[in-house]
Amino acid sequence: MSAIELRNVNKVYGNRFHALHDLSFDIRDGEFMVFVGPSGCGKSTALRMIAGLEAITSGELRIGGRLVNDVDPKDRDIAMVFQSYALYPHKTVRENIAFPLQMAGLPKTEIANRVDEAARTLELTTLLDHRPALLSGGQRQRVAMGRAIVRKPAAFLMDEPLSNLDAKLRVQMRAEIASLQRKLNVTTIYVTHDQVEAMTMGDRVAVMKGGVLQQVDTPQNLYNRPDNVFVAAFIGSPSMNLYEAVLNGRTLTLGSNSFEIPERVFEYRPSLNGASNRQVIIGIRPEHMNDAAIRPSSAEISAPVTLVEALGSESMLHLNIDAPWVDAGDPDAVADIGDEKAAVARFSPKSTVRAGDIARVALDAEELHFFEPDTRTSIW
Amino acid sequence: MRRARRFNINGILINAAALVLVLSYALPYVYLLTTSIKPAADVQQIPPSFLPAVVSLENFREVLQSSALPKAFASSLVVAVLTTVLSLAVAVPAAYVATQYRRRITTLFLLFALVTRMVPSVSLGVPLFQLLKSLGLLDTIPGLVLAHTSAAVPLALLLMSAFFEGVPKELEEAARMDGCTRFQAFRKIILPVMIGGIAVTGLFTFITSWNEFLYALLLTSEATKTAPIVIAEYNSVYGLAWGAMTAAAVLYSLPVIVVTLALQKQIVGGLTFGAVKG
Repeated sequence: MSAIELRNVNKVYGNRFHALHDLSFDIRDGEFMVFVGPSGCGKSTALRMIAGLEAITSGELRIGGRLVNDVDPKDRDIAMVFQSYALYPHKTVRENIAFPLQMAGLPKTEIANRVDEAARTLELTTLLDHRPALLSGGQRQRVAMGRAIVRKPAAFLMDEPLSNLDAKLRVQMRAEIASLQRKLNVTTIYVTHDQVEAMTMGDRVAVMKGGVLQQVDTPQNLYNRPDNVFVAAFIGSPSMNLYEAVLNGRTLTLGSNSFEIPERVFEYRPSLNGASNRQVIIGIRPEHMNDAAIRPSSAEISAPVTLVEALGSESMLHLNIDAPWVDAGDPDAVADIGDEKAAVARFSPKSTVRAGDIARVALDAEELHFFEPDTRTSIW
Repeated sequence: MRRARRFNINGILINAAALVLVLSYALPYVYLLTTSIKPAADVQQIPPSFLPAVVSLENFREVLQSSALPKAFASSLVVAVLTTVLSLAVAVPAAYVATQYRRRITTLFLLFALVTRMVPSVSLGVPLFQLLKSLGLLDTIPGLVLAHTSAAVPLALLLMSAFFEGVPKELEEAARMDGCTRFQAFRKIILPVMIGGIAVTGLFTFITSWNEFLYALLLTSEATKTAPIVIAEYNSVYGLAWGAMTAAAVLYSLPVIVVTLALQKQIVGGLTFGAVKG
């Protein structure tokens, strides 16, 4: 049994900075849980508290049913992979991997067998006598993994383990870590700021912002049924487009454009029924905005095109929609895209729309998301 | 071709500058060496000569046959080794805690160590004399070791703090996750990683004690007199024994040179520690 439970866990630093607010969730035995969020959201703090490297201010943390609030890291039976790998530079790869077993007092033959097994699993056999300084980034990452798996711990904790690798290697290691976790079936918590990593690796993903848990769910549910504006914008790349709009009966007014919302939307979002000049925040993903000339729809808007990014398999259109733009509150988002207020649409590469045109954009209105302007939570 | 030529000119300029630097440091020592191997009569000749006309080891024979110098060497060695061990034993853990567990009090602690370096050691001579006298440690090895350690610890603390600043906090954390207590993590992981820094600090501490003159003069007399005092005493009532003095000084400088050469790898590693990302 190595389920991890957090109950109303808080972290307040000496300078009164409240880093984590009432964090509560369960991680099931064998589950791959990803903590994701922008920088400073408290995801690493939460991981370090589970590791025992940060004290818990209040709340309860249980690993395998045992309350571990005041248990030393060494006695929690968990292994951790650090962002910097934290390999011991004076030890060889073999000694690095063997170290936790030596500390556990295992017999030498057992240690040798386990190190060899871990090295085979991670394809490190030929590197066992090298020092970390001689290894490439990917190899170092593998050694860090080896040091974690060799112990057969109750849980793995991984703090942005791929962030120091180049993009290509990151994709490769992402798949390797995910498949290793499935093979070993060990409860894993993985921290990342990269939502693509979160979506592709996690059984479930916990989205955090400002020390507050926003939503814990499967990647697909986070994408399809986000609980609030922040999750809606954070999950998915390019981000969901968010604008203020007015709903009157079945008619949605978005800036100077108006269109009818399909009946089905009101079936699964019953509280939208009977709206009379109701202010809402609407969200629409780029793939639900198409070239009306190619895929017409009953919900069409027109907007000037400021930029076309032709990617071969698709074209990303930047549109200037004349409705109030909504800031999702992701502090890292502004750096990602230059013109943050432009809507992004994923058009077919066959589209002939060019920058400077007024595009007719067909919205897949059944896929629209609705949020309360005050609470920014989803309207269902 | 032009590029290669310019590179060569740069190389020559750099080497020439390095040579000037090395000569300016080495010249006094070379003069000490050449003086030590001159016959006694040539040492004080006017005008002085840089190179000896005849090579003679009589100055060395004289100082080695004197009863005072070998004993003083032994005192110096014991005091310097004990001071180094004691200073490192105090400064290494203290610097680690002060840098890795940073609190306001640890910052103050390091600042205080820096301030003690600003106090002229001569002003501490009299209080130290009285302190050791009241403890019955005047003219004893432990007394001088304590005095030297009090002078060496702040330097060792500041040096080790600078080295520890370069150690990623994750190393200790990884060790703790791997089953170590905090102390085990320090002993099994941090200390071996810091061996270069410890070697450099140890060497500086050793040299500080080995060369120390003022406290040795104030706090010792016949029993534990160290070599710098004995060397200075060649300036006797019978005049300046330049030959013997330079021979003794050459002999006295040898251990430091030997230790520095032996630890060269660690020293270079220590001084460049953290300079490049591993």
